[in-house]
Amino acid sequence: MSIEAIYFDGEMARDHAVTVNRVGSNLSFQGAAVPATTWSISGLHSIDPPTPGQPFRITHDNKPGARLIIRDQAFIDDLVAQNSHLKGGYSWRHLGQVLGWTAGGLAAFAGLGYLAMTVLPQQIAGLLPHSWRDRSGDQVITSLVGTAKRCETPGSKSAIAAMVAALAESGTDIPSVAIDIYDMDLVNAFAVPGGHIVLTRGLLKEASDPDEVTGVLAHELGHVYHLHPEAQLVRFAGLQVLAGAISGGSSGDLVTSAAGLATILRYTREAEREADAYARDVMVKASVDPIGLKRFFEKFMKLEGIKPGEPPQESSALDTIGNVFSTHPGTQDRIKEIQPLPAGKTPVKIMTDEQFRDLQQACG
Amino acid sequence: MSELVGEIQTATSAAPPERLNFSYTKRPGLLKLTIVNFLLSIITLGFYRFWAKTNVRKHIWSSVHINGEPLEYTGTGMELFKGFLVVFFVLLLPYILAVTAATVIQGPESPIAVLLQIAFFLAIYVLWGFAVYKARKFQLSRTNWRGIRGTLVGSAMIYSLLYFGSMLAKSMSAGWATPVMNTVLAEQITNDMRFGDAAFKFKGRAGPLYPTYAMCWLLTLVAIIAIIVIFVGSSTLTDEIKSMFDPDTSPDTIAEIVKYIILAGVILFFTFMLVIPMLWAIYTAKELRTFATYTRFDGVPFTLDATTGSVIWLTVINLLLIVFTLGIAWPFVQQRIVKFFVDRMTLEGLVDVDRIRQSSAKMDRRGEGLADAFDVGGL
Repeated sequence: MSIEAIYFDGEMARDHAVTVNRVGSNLSFQGAAVPATTWSISGLHSIDPPTPGQPFRITHDNKPGARLIIRDQAFIDDLVAQNSHLKGGYSWRHLGQVLGWTAGGLAAFAGLGYLAMTVLPQQIAGLLPHSWRDRSGDQVITSLVGTAKRCETPGSKSAIAAMVAALAESGTDIPSVAIDIYDMDLVNAFAVPGGHIVLTRGLLKEASDPDEVTGVLAHELGHVYHLHPEAQLVRFAGLQVLAGAISGGSSGDLVTSAAGLATILRYTREAEREADAYARDVMVKASVDPIGLKRFFEKFMKLEGIKPGEPPQESSALDTIGNVFSTHPGTQDRIKEIQPLPAGKTPVKIMTDEQFRDLQQACG
Repeated sequence: MSELVGEIQTATSAAPPERLNFSYTKRPGLLKLTIVNFLLSIITLGFYRFWAKTNVRKHIWSSVHINGEPLEYTGTGMELFKGFLVVFFVLLLPYILAVTAATVIQGPESPIAVLLQIAFFLAIYVLWGFAVYKARKFQLSRTNWRGIRGTLVGSAMIYSLLYFGSMLAKSMSAGWATPVMNTVLAEQITNDMRFGDAAFKFKGRAGPLYPTYAMCWLLTLVAIIAIIVIFVGSSTLTDEIKSMFDPDTSPDTIAEIVKYIILAGVILFFTFMLVIPMLWAIYTAKELRTFATYTRFDGVPFTLDATTGSVIWLTVINLLLIVFTLGIAWPFVQQRIVKFFVDRMTLEGLVDVDRIRQSSAKMDRRGEGLADAFDVGGL
């Protein structure tokens, strides 16, 4: 069967009349200025799906720029009927490719998101230059304390020094920290990036002896030691990047918002356990009575209206963020793990009663 | 050997120069394409748009016939997708990382965070022309007719700078630089255009555009002043609005005033959404006609029968199509735009088509990443 067709060689715009023959699994054609050419049918591609009444346009793997245009309907029907790859239109392969890319893209995104939330932050936190930690810590403090003023008296200074010195007696690696008191009502303590610890006036007033404050301080030192605040910061930044990538731009300045603070200062349960373990270890080694921490813990739960065995109710973001004892389920277990000093160890006296009074009255 | 000699002897001589006739022949299947594209876009959370664009272009291109031979779009969805990935990872992600880091470390109001954001917006403006040029180049290089493809042979960077300069000039001259700048931009990009080894040329002055531009500009000014005089100048309206809150005013009067306010709203809407844009259609049509006569392919000038009415009709129906289908009908909008140009375009002379050789320009392997990110208009 021999038919007439038009051929473009992909090098000149000129059209060529050719005679096409179908020989077995090949098409061969030639014309006045076209040397005899053989195209395997398996290597053919249709440019458009074949449409009845329209010329059928095909090309070949060997010469992707060339076009063979066939008008003979019977020839087209015959060719397409026996070679389904020329039908064109939507194919499962095409659909699979698109869905594959989509699934791959989403999986990569979810994977990145998971890493950004779990493993990576702690790893990256250790790599942050110290100046970065300091500056971001300053920012967090600024938005955390708002207009509350910093309280410092010679007495409070010496009391804080005494607590640090007592804990340093443990011989463990105590990170160097800047501990500041702020004139805030809420009963809380925060570890902030850059090795800052914030104690509130409310917390100091609520404490009934130096052991309680020192216990809380040991816990916060645990967070500082493990770089938990920095990790939270990285975690938060990662969230922002993901949000930005989805929305296609910057996601604004959530750092200073209450929601941003809540994200930064609310540790995972693992982090709280690590800080607890660090505090217990340091206190035992330094002979600071751990029962102080335990007592304050229970006092705090009472204050928050948490009954044993009941999940705490969420109040406003700023009330619940980064509580010394992060009041999520599991708190009871954490209290239970705090044991008295082992037999043979006598609790040290951390500071004088006068120093403690000065500490409590740092804000007047 | 003897066969070969025979072939050369019987080779037909090339056809004489011919007139090129453009026609748009609608093919069935665009509605199905639109629906399938829409569904797949939803399933893939928008990832499908690169393949959707490609399918629609293939359909529309193949509906354009020049002397009986259709155009062919040879681009693939994957090329567009890769273009998107490159822009995302090279431009967008580093920016987001940098801004987030600056914001978290230095604070949202810190100089570095603010500077980064300003730099980003500036970069968008500077790169806008780059995106336009690259997208045009990609589309031309994926457009085949008789086996020959088009391209742009110039520098996208130069066009980008010109484009940025034109935006500045237009805004600083209260619009009066528009005819000059549009002419310069059209000249720059058209002179870079090739079909195979045949060149497009653009030559002409902006002067003839100015009478029409001045008329549209002044009429717009008159319309705005009229609005100001009617609503702000007459203090009665503000007095009436105040009296609405006076307990002594009767409900009938209040109803009357509310009617006035609604009427005012309708007049404002019509002025700014319909009257002023329609006014500018006069200029758009004039510019299209003028630029067509300035453009030559292989030495032969074009004409484009773009009337004010036809431009308004094209724009209004396209707007309604987009609004009432929430954008799903965009393939039809594109078809209407292409059909508008193809139906109204004429090449006023003979072209020696058979002589045209394939373009030797290198083809970009990816396409339109920036244009996609910026949502640059066009096809």
